[in-house]
Amino acid sequence: MVDCARIQKELVDCNKDKGISGISVTLDGDEFTHLTGTITGPVGTPYEGGIFQIDIQMPGEYPFEPPKMRFLTKVWHPNISSQNGAICLDILKDQWSPALTLKTALLSLQALLSAPEPGDPQDAVVAQQYLRDYPTFAGTARYWTETFAKRSSMGIEEKVQKLVEMGFPDVLVRKTLEIVGGDENMALEKLCTG
Amino acid sequence: MDDKTQIKPVNDSPSLHEVQTLDDSSDEGEEINESFVCCICLELLHKPIVLACGHISCFWCVHHAMDFGRESHCPICRREYNHFPSICELLHFLLLKMYPETYRRREKQLLEVEKTWGVFSPQLDLSSSCVNSDPKAPSPPTNFISCHETNSSVKTSPTPIENSKKIVELSHGGSANSPVKSAENSVITKNADIEENTCLNYKACKPVSINDALCITCKQMLFQPVILNCGHAYCESCLEVPENEALSCQLCQFPHPNGFPKVCLVLDNFLEREFPQEYARRRDDVQHKPVCSQQGTASSACTASSKKDGPLSSKISQYYSEWMSGAGPDIHFGAGCDYCGMCPIVGERYQCKDCVESIGFDLCGSCYNTGSKRPGRFNQQHTEGHSFRQKKALRLSDVTVRLLPVISDDDLDSSDILDEAPEDDSAALGLLDESPDDPEIF
Repeated sequence: MVDCARIQKELVDCNKDKGISGISVTLDGDEFTHLTGTITGPVGTPYEGGIFQIDIQMPGEYPFEPPKMRFLTKVWHPNISSQNGAICLDILKDQWSPALTLKTALLSLQALLSAPEPGDPQDAVVAQQYLRDYPTFAGTARYWTETFAKRSSMGIEEKVQKLVEMGFPDVLVRKTLEIVGGDENMALEKLCTG
Repeated sequence: MDDKTQIKPVNDSPSLHEVQTLDDSSDEGEEINESFVCCICLELLHKPIVLACGHISCFWCVHHAMDFGRESHCPICRREYNHFPSICELLHFLLLKMYPETYRRREKQLLEVEKTWGVFSPQLDLSSSCVNSDPKAPSPPTNFISCHETNSSVKTSPTPIENSKKIVELSHGGSANSPVKSAENSVITKNADIEENTCLNYKACKPVSINDALCITCKQMLFQPVILNCGHAYCESCLEVPENEALSCQLCQFPHPNGFPKVCLVLDNFLEREFPQEYARRRDDVQHKPVCSQQGTASSACTASSKKDGPLSSKISQYYSEWMSGAGPDIHFGAGCDYCGMCPIVGERYQCKDCVESIGFDLCGSCYNTGSKRPGRFNQQHTEGHSFRQKKALRLSDVTVRLLPVISDDDLDSSDILDEAPEDDSAALGLLDESPDDPEIF
């Protein structure tokens, strides 16, 4: 049986300073077994400005077993699967300790975004790109952040549409946008020059 | 989480109080100092256990966080240990005095949970000391009182009756009669009564005084306290380690197997906050002590204890690999020694035939030979009259036989015939027992 008292305490503790930490947790339904966490992308990384949602399943033995976490928002990161959001992080596996909480685990995810570990990858393709061609990696990561992790900014489809209306082919526009990390003006410049 | 975050006074973070009152409608408005909140259940520490690294958790939180097949790790600093320490009585009574209402609520809540488990945590009061009749090995409850009531507690350990008087005097509430609770199970009834008794006795206590935190050796207020595996508290500077011998408690003569203990910073900071003058005086005292004795004690203790941890009390992983190859001493997965707390038991294991509690009562080889005079870790009503049988550990060959897809009926029959003992796998300390049924093939 899930320790509801502890999870309730954690929820209160986590949400009271979400303005500062950029971390919040909400219940999915009435059960304490399924939660959704939200973290903001760390400043100075390709994930800056993004808001990432994380699916959290609480095992019955929590806090003696780690919570099962998975990115709902698509992320381009060596330690996060670009397919299903699975996370490769030791504290969510064998290095879990019952003294850790949802908040500290989410903080660790935030730290993982700023410090990828390509040596221990979850997504081999991303890790290869990170090691061999960092600028492309950063561009793709930015593009994914723009595309999938931003709520307020203009959607990528609108940008594509705008550029296509200028007379560039759709496929090329999308490719260019991805290369420059979703920046509309940079994409336009690149399309014009090359 | 580290010590720094743990020992913040509650004034800096009113959040915890909000949390406490939010979901506990029955709460008493006691402002719990954040340093006394268990890092695992996030509630007030209950029956606190101090690990050798100085970190504190509740009895059940430590138990649930332990690994019953390998070394366990401190939830906070991940330091390895393989002995389940006894409850620190000093802290227990300190918390009971400081937060009587919350502590009592916790006690009641946990007792309900324990009833559903059918396993009980130890009762820390005068009643449990009655089980102990050996003057040479005073039980923990008497120690707490005697440490500031008598000079040489080992020799002049008071009888249980004297103790009970003293506790009543201490509590200023001799008139409190324990309300009789009706329960089907006699054990449960007893536990419940004990609980009521303890709480009522201590409810009328005065505020915390220096006498609640005395060192066993110097009889002064603890300065940089360390807590041994037996739960007894010493100043770090008072702990003397005899040359070429393992560190053991001066009061109960109980060995301390988890390496030289580190200062319990939560308790140390609390005392510094609560009694600044006395703390400063103690610090001066200790600093003016001859340097060699202080430093020498600690460092020699480290080497002595690391040398003297003994082959069976350390490095279970080493034995684990030997076990995998079919050699080495037995490893009793999921079973712990009720005396020294070694978990899992490595080497010989003796199981009590007469203890009726579902969790059983087990001793490791060395504790069996020394002879246990204590009640079990889980309040088992074990007495000296009980008899033991030696238990065989599961060998790798047993496991592989069981994993084979086809086992002939002959094999099964012969193992049944050889099976002397009844099926038992609710081994001591083993709520989380994961080992398959012990076939006891000899």
